[in-house]
Amino acid sequence: MDKNFKQTSRSGSLGWLLQRISAVILFILLLFHFITYHFLTTGRSVSYQQVLERAQSWWFPLLQFAFLITALYHGLNGVWSVLEDYTSSKTWRLVWYSLLLTVGVVLLFVGTLTIIKLYTLKAV
Amino acid sequence: MAKIDINVKILRYQPAKDEKPHWQDFAISVEDESTVLDVLNEIHWQHDGTLAYRRSCRSSICGSCAMKVNGRNVLACETPIHRFGTKLKIEPLSGFEILKDLVVDLEPFFAKLKRIRPYLILDKPLPDKEFVQSPQQLEQIGESTLCILCAACSAACPSSWPNSDYLGPAALLKAYRFVFDSRDDGADQRLEIVNDKNGVWRCHTIFNCMEACPKKIKITEYLSRLKVKVVENSL
Repeated sequence: MDKNFKQTSRSGSLGWLLQRISAVILFILLLFHFITYHFLTTGRSVSYQQVLERAQSWWFPLLQFAFLITALYHGLNGVWSVLEDYTSSKTWRLVWYSLLLTVGVVLLFVGTLTIIKLYTLKAV
Repeated sequence: MAKIDINVKILRYQPAKDEKPHWQDFAISVEDESTVLDVLNEIHWQHDGTLAYRRSCRSSICGSCAMKVNGRNVLACETPIHRFGTKLKIEPLSGFEILKDLVVDLEPFFAKLKRIRPYLILDKPLPDKEFVQSPQQLEQIGESTLCILCAACSAACPSSWPNSDYLGPAALLKAYRFVFDSRDDGADQRLEIVNDKNGVWRCHTIFNCMEACPKKIKITEYLSRLKVKVVENSL
C-alpha cells in the first residue's frame, strides 16, 4: 500500500493558509494602488513634481514595501506549490527551494533599494 | 432508430505481442441511439473478439466502464455516441498503467481509498436501533455519498499525473464524506492522513474532477471544505 501513497512528514496547511491570506492582502493593496495612481492625481497629465511628492509622502514607501513583501511571498509560494507537484526527489526539492529563496532575497533587495531611492530622490 | 456509419479509433495494447500502445481504426455500422458501450460491444462481438474493456451493470452505477472518449472521461454505458458525431476516439483512463486495451490497473486507486479508512469509525457504543441523523446533518455530506468509484475524477486530475503518491480526488472525497458525517468519530485520524504533502494540499482547485464526474458531484467544492476543516483542526 505504501507504494501508492507515500505519507510524508510535510504538511502544506500553513503554505495554503498563507497563500490565501496574502491573496486577500494583495487585493486590498491593489485597491490602494489604483486609488493612489489613478484617482488621487489631478490634471490630465502627471508631472515629475507630482510623482516625487507622492513617492516622498510617509505612506508611499510603506504601501510599496507591503506590496513588495506580499507579492514576492504570494508569487514564489505559488511557484513552489507547482514545483512540488513535479518534484519528488529530496535533492531537486532542495535545489528548487534554494533557487526560489535566492530569487526572493535578490528581488527583495532590489525592490527595497528602489523604494529607498524614490523616497530620497531630490527635486529637480 | 436508424443505422449510421461511424469511425472508431481505439488505443490498443496487448501485452503479449505489443511493445507499446497503438491506434486501431474500426469502420462499423450501429444504431444512432447507441451508447459508447454498445459500440464497444459491437466491435467485440462482430469485428474483433480480442478487444478488452470493463463493463458490468450497464446502468451507470458500478463504475466499471470509465474511459476517455474524444478527450473526455465518461462512463461508456451512459454516454450516447451522438454527443461525439460519427468519429470516436476511445482510450483508457490516463494516469494508470494499461493492463490490456482499455483495461487499466486500478489497484493503486483502491489502495489510496483504503488509506483514508473508508468506513464508519465509532468511539461511542452502537445505538439500540439505527443512528439518528437530522436533515441538516445529512445535508453536510450531501451528494458526496453518490460516488461510484469509477476513477474518472482521479484520471482527469492533472495533479495526479506527475505524482503517483497523490491521494487524488476520489479518496479525498471519501475522506470528506466521513469527516463530515455526524455519525462518524474518525475525523481526527482522517484529517491527519489528508493533511500531507501528498494529501489534500496537492489539489489546486483545477475543477477537472468535477467536469469528469459522471454523477456530477461537486468534488472541488467538497475538497475546499475539507482543506478548511484541516486548517481549523491543525490551528
